[in-house]
Amino acid sequence: MESPHLIWLLFVPLIASVLSLIVHWFGDFTRPILEFLHLASVTATLVLTFIVAGQVLDAGEALAFSDWLRVDSLGALFVVIVGVMGFLSGIYSIGFTRHELAVGYTNHDIAIGGLDMGRLRVFYSLFHFFLFTMLLAVTSNNIIIMWVAIEATTLSSAFLVGLYGTRPALEAAWKYVVICTVGVAFGLYGTILVYSDAVNLIQETSKASLWTEIVKNASTLDPTLLKLAFVFILIGFGTKAGIVPMHSWLPDTYSEAPSPVSALLSGVLVNCTLFVIIRFSIIVNLALGTSFAQILFLVFGVISLAAAVFFMMGQKDINRLLAYSSPENIGLILIALGLGGPIGILAGLLQLVNHSIVKTMMFFLSGNILMKYRSRSLDVVKGLMQAAPLTSFFLLAGVFALVGAPPFNIFFSKFLIVSAGIATGYWWLMIVCMLLLMLAFTALFRMGSSVTLGQKPVEIQNGESGFTTLAPIAILMVLALVLGLFMPAQLTDLLNGAVEVVNAGVTATPLAGPNGSASVAGPLGGLSVESFFSFFSGH
Amino acid sequence: MVTFVLAGILLPFLGSLLVLILPRSWVKATSQLVTFAAMLCTLFVLYSLGMTGKVGYTQDLLFFGDIVLYGVIVDKISALLGSVFILFGFLVVVYSGGYLSEKNRDHVEHNGVQRRYYFFLLTFIGAMAGLVMSSTMLGLLAFFELTGVCSWGLIGYYNDEKSLKAALKAIVTTELASVGLFIATAAFFVLTGGFQLSAFATLDDTIKTWLFIGILIAAWGKSAQLPLHFWLPDAMAAPTPISAYLHAASMVKAGVYIFARCLLSAGTVPQVIGVVGVIMAIVTMFYGLLMYFPQKDFKRLLAYSTITQLSYIFFALSLSIFGSATAFNGAIAHVFNHALGKGLFFLVAGAVGFSTGTRLLPNLKGLLKKMPLVGICFAVAALAVTGVPPFNGFFSKFTIFAGGFEAAKNAPLLMILVVIAILETIGSFAWLFWVFSSSVPGDSSAEVAAASDIAPSMKFALVILACLALLSGFFAMAWLK
Repeated sequence: MESPHLIWLLFVPLIASVLSLIVHWFGDFTRPILEFLHLASVTATLVLTFIVAGQVLDAGEALAFSDWLRVDSLGALFVVIVGVMGFLSGIYSIGFTRHELAVGYTNHDIAIGGLDMGRLRVFYSLFHFFLFTMLLAVTSNNIIIMWVAIEATTLSSAFLVGLYGTRPALEAAWKYVVICTVGVAFGLYGTILVYSDAVNLIQETSKASLWTEIVKNASTLDPTLLKLAFVFILIGFGTKAGIVPMHSWLPDTYSEAPSPVSALLSGVLVNCTLFVIIRFSIIVNLALGTSFAQILFLVFGVISLAAAVFFMMGQKDINRLLAYSSPENIGLILIALGLGGPIGILAGLLQLVNHSIVKTMMFFLSGNILMKYRSRSLDVVKGLMQAAPLTSFFLLAGVFALVGAPPFNIFFSKFLIVSAGIATGYWWLMIVCMLLLMLAFTALFRMGSSVTLGQKPVEIQNGESGFTTLAPIAILMVLALVLGLFMPAQLTDLLNGAVEVVNAGVTATPLAGPNGSASVAGPLGGLSVESFFSFFSGH
Repeated sequence: MVTFVLAGILLPFLGSLLVLILPRSWVKATSQLVTFAAMLCTLFVLYSLGMTGKVGYTQDLLFFGDIVLYGVIVDKISALLGSVFILFGFLVVVYSGGYLSEKNRDHVEHNGVQRRYYFFLLTFIGAMAGLVMSSTMLGLLAFFELTGVCSWGLIGYYNDEKSLKAALKAIVTTELASVGLFIATAAFFVLTGGFQLSAFATLDDTIKTWLFIGILIAAWGKSAQLPLHFWLPDAMAAPTPISAYLHAASMVKAGVYIFARCLLSAGTVPQVIGVVGVIMAIVTMFYGLLMYFPQKDFKRLLAYSTITQLSYIFFALSLSIFGSATAFNGAIAHVFNHALGKGLFFLVAGAVGFSTGTRLLPNLKGLLKKMPLVGICFAVAALAVTGVPPFNGFFSKFTIFAGGFEAAKNAPLLMILVVIAILETIGSFAWLFWVFSSSVPGDSSAEVAAASDIAPSMKFALVILACLALLSGFFAMAWLK
């Protein structure tokens, strides 16, 4: 159905972005106006994402601008992630930036800087522009616009990364721009290969760039060209998603950016680039069968997971540790998608949602720690339990959630991934993955115990960091628990639909892998996502 | 009835949440109240099961689609062990009330951190109850991992370098081991399409073997058996009531429990699992015995004693695979009896540390003269753990050996292993008797002579447990018959 809300969903953050830049023209009340504008915009965006998701649930898809914008169940899942995390980061930003303003901007080569009013305007303006670009990436039906949007996320977030203006921050921003732009250029090449092939078939240039049209004609695309294109796309957009070995920008960027931005980068942006990869993998699956994309996903997934956990070991910087946990989780998601079948895809998408929730929360927490200690080093940050008991409680619970301890959500998605792996005959790979995850577990636990326990430095005052920086964490914690214990019906419907989209046109029996003979596959061979969720959808 | 079972599981969890939000001065009383209520609930379940002819039943509770995620199983075993775990939990909560104080000479307790202690302890008690009552693999797995997480918080409670390291070691080892259970559960789910343990019997032998290997690895880790035993002696850095609960009564029993529960559900089990289980148990038993001798620290001695006692349980459970129901019952009874006996022993060690400020055995002489109650409890605990009649350890050990002879009829080679186990039991009796005779009777050493009095709540827990260790003697055996 045509959806005017979809257009507004894009325009609201765009308008907010422009207004934030010029707000000082209207008088001396810059900060209150900025914050009001900011709140209004993130709230409106949140409401609009829910409306659009509702429309998708009702009608199957939401369209705008003569099919250039299209949200199906898969898109809606990502739109909701952007909306919710954007809103919570928005709330968090208010408390965080106020604190950083109080610290004040000093142009010295110190490790962690503060902000002044000019930089605050830039922050809020780019924050909304960043939201806009991410929303564009996940709502676009035009593969060229998809690429443009991803490229635009790099540009908008690069200035956010370097916002503090300190030497390490600028270096991180520079590294981020250079590596990701080069990476995404590969993505452009892949995109154009697909487009040029599609133009030959579809003849109508304006239609040939539409994902829906390419999917319709997928079976007639040139297989060799498509293989080539997908490799370029995986490498290109994979750079942006932080897939190892294209991850080298990631730890610097995540640790130098202001915390709400790190949260968005790690919890949301990564998903948006994965979204693009998934979109192209659907085309590839239709044209070449599932095995090509699945093998690539598995290989890169395992490499990412394995490399990331080793980088996590012995990491002394809280943010870098959390940063490396991103490729670890991206690796898991790719492995799940590579295992394929409805359960594998479901497990991957669920892991993606859960990781987004928990990682966003963890970066908020690291922001709270940063505000208190002005340091990210595990040698300095100690005794949080004495200094801020509530933050410390959340941090411990967050570590438990991130390592996938029950009853948190990641426990169940991890379990589903392992089940999907065993069902497809990759049980040995699952054992390897579980053992690798134990390394991540150790590293995160060491961080949790080192930060919360021990003796706090004498100069650190006791006290929590304030309502706006704790409430988003509390909300995310509740989400992590609720999704662990009970799934709301709307989310299961969305996931259900998204799995159908990703699994579209795959005729092979679900969960049949290398060893997928009847004796091994067992009763789960007949288990579909529908029966999995039948309890919630009420039939 | 299921309401009471659920209350037993959920009350401690509720308590752990209350502990976080209630005023600090209420924390102790709240914890004692909820665990007392939970204890009453499970004792009632035990009582009513006994009244209704001990007929077990299951009730499915939590669904996902038509897949049962969690349910409770109430039978002879879960009711018996559930009640002893929660009862001991209650006693430990009471004991801790006195132990964690500024009068404690072993570890002076400064005010202000007790919330964390009770939060983790109550969550642990709830998780233990949830584990024992679970009728699904997923329930076993989730609560198994939850106990690990809580044990980290409890072992690291003293917040110094040593205890934090021990805590990390404990959780990493047990979680690494629990990968076995994780994979086994996922495979179980894939193969049976659900989580209900009752489906275990439908699997074929090859698959059962692989699943049991996963389960055994997890169980060995949790129950501190070779080669995953090394975390337990270090975990003695925990507060002593925690050691009593985690490292004698409950957490280390989680491992043997999942093994026992799966054996029970699986029906016939391939003998190769029995062979592996028996051999590892004997190796661990002997290793543990050898490690008795160099120990100077009271608690580390008890830790090694726990390792050997748990290998008796593994030994008996593995014997049951060769077709000895007696050995199985002996194992379950030993879980029950050892929880009370060794738990008491740890609480005695805690009381000694509390009043003298040392846990080093060479410094402890003449306990009976200065502290008659602690001295008597020491004697009771030592006799119960080494299995001297009429104390409870005797009944279960005797049954295990009887089961061993029964199983040896089918597999004569087992006889050698049973004889080795009997030799071990004599060895450990001799050593503990020597420790007892050098610390309890006679003239007091300087440390003991300067001892302070222990708190009333600690006395309460000691007396109750000493009585139980004496009176419960044949209760477990009679109940399981």
